[in-house]
Amino acid sequence: MTSQVMEEGAPLRRRAFLASFTKNFLPAVPFVLIFGFFFLFPIARLIYVSFLSNDNNFTLSNFRTAIQEPYRTGFINSIKIGVFSAAIAAFPGALAAYFIETRGNSKLRRTIAVMSGVLANTGGVPLAFMFYAALGIQGQLTKILKYLGWDLYSGTFSLGSFVGLLIVYSYFQLPLMIIVFSPAIVSLRREWSEAARNLGANQFNYWIRIGIPLLFPSFMACSLLLFASGFSAYATANALTVGNLPLTPLQIGGLLDGNVSAAQLNLGKALGVVMIVISACAVIPYLAIQRRSAKWQKR
Amino acid sequence: MAKAIRMKLLPPLALTLLLLGLFVFVPMLSAFEYSIRTPATGGYGWTHYHWAISEEDFFHYIFRSTWLSGVTVLITLLILVPTLVWIHLSDSKIRGIIDGLSLLPLVIPVVAFAVGAQISFPEFVQNTVLELPFLYFVLALPYAYRSLDIGLNSIPLKTLSEAARSAGANWLRTIISVIIPVIRGSVMATIALTFALSLGEYTLTVLLHWDTFPTWVTYVAQDNILGAIAISMMSLIIPFIILTAVTLVIPERNMQGRK
Repeated sequence: MTSQVMEEGAPLRRRAFLASFTKNFLPAVPFVLIFGFFFLFPIARLIYVSFLSNDNNFTLSNFRTAIQEPYRTGFINSIKIGVFSAAIAAFPGALAAYFIETRGNSKLRRTIAVMSGVLANTGGVPLAFMFYAALGIQGQLTKILKYLGWDLYSGTFSLGSFVGLLIVYSYFQLPLMIIVFSPAIVSLRREWSEAARNLGANQFNYWIRIGIPLLFPSFMACSLLLFASGFSAYATANALTVGNLPLTPLQIGGLLDGNVSAAQLNLGKALGVVMIVISACAVIPYLAIQRRSAKWQKR
Repeated sequence: MAKAIRMKLLPPLALTLLLLGLFVFVPMLSAFEYSIRTPATGGYGWTHYHWAISEEDFFHYIFRSTWLSGVTVLITLLILVPTLVWIHLSDSKIRGIIDGLSLLPLVIPVVAFAVGAQISFPEFVQNTVLELPFLYFVLALPYAYRSLDIGLNSIPLKTLSEAARSAGANWLRTIISVIIPVIRGSVMATIALTFALSLGEYTLTVLLHWDTFPTWVTYVAQDNILGAIAISMMSLIIPFIILTAVTLVIPERNMQGRK
């Protein structure tokens, strides 16, 4: 009797499994296949290959080379440019987002959103050439600054130097800050400021006790995203520097193109993996904080 | 009273806009001035723009970048809309996983992704330029996914699809003639975003040794920097004007995800 039930149970269970599979997983298959093949697979393979020596044995030597000169300087410069460009853009961007979101009408807000999107995303190469024209030795902006008493080129300045890149990066970092920080501003409810005022708080108290504590996590999160964006930027730096400023993305690009030869074939992969780790240290907290604040940001 | 409030509200906004305007437009105008200089005569003229447009490659690469971006948009919509509709309707257990996966490309620097792509794909994938739209799809995924997700969250999806289904529509028809029109704001935003990102993508394209409009510009710069600057000005200013105009023309109720 029991065995009979068991025998009938198996195909039933299989059918139930099929039904549940169709219902719960099947529609996700196209997405998972494409995403898996075009994203997860290359990343997994990158990590795997970064641990292989030239004759395909397991080794850590790629990573050992990756943290020595000249790659160490590359990482330090890249991290520095990420930190500085984020630090420069974060506060002005947040302030601009605040005034635009709280005081602008909807047309203005949408226009700014679109313009920020264009600047933050399609930047790259055109941006580099634009600054070459504006802030180059012959550029009009250079002349204006000189007229105002600030001679950019009196020292060692060039657009391909650290400071030069920092100026150009801020041109896409600031719009990026406006884009990513605006949702946090939108979710600051007017009722809270009114409630605080009714309870006798002045503007200063409101900001110290309510506004800043509420916005601070989002502000830090967005700054982290800006860091990741500055840290991994490639196009602008590639167009402006002429090998005078070691940055990790450029070093990887050089190894990939075969312009730079290295004794270790898989060194570029190890550099890529270290970049992923550093970038993840910034982006994952960003995503985690965003998710947390999304809870109270829902209306 | 109203006037007093306006007086109190406006100065910070006006100051912000003034500073932002200076920040954005001074370098842009300065670069524009540079791009219309004609060193030969010492005056101004459209020489470099004429030169760029009369280059055969100019339209060749614009055309190529445009159709690649079009294919990317198509792939994005074909994959994401059905997947997201299903995720929203079924409350499947894997929703969290797919949400998380869609954000992963944000974590990976594009340079590292390019290295991975170069060492992973079989020949037949690497030999066709059609690999690019799939890779662009991955790069745009975090934004496209979120934009569609917000759109679907803001409508009574279950009611709509049940109504369409009980009126005899199959799933394809439900998605095409009911769901997409209702979330057209999000769909338009997704299209614009994916298209713009694909059109301007440089890092991945150049590291995988493909030529598109942005990589052609750097190639031009080696011989004719003024021509490259003219092209760059066009590729910054034209999308600026078109997108701003489109935003101002589209009525507001179609824009979802913003309050």
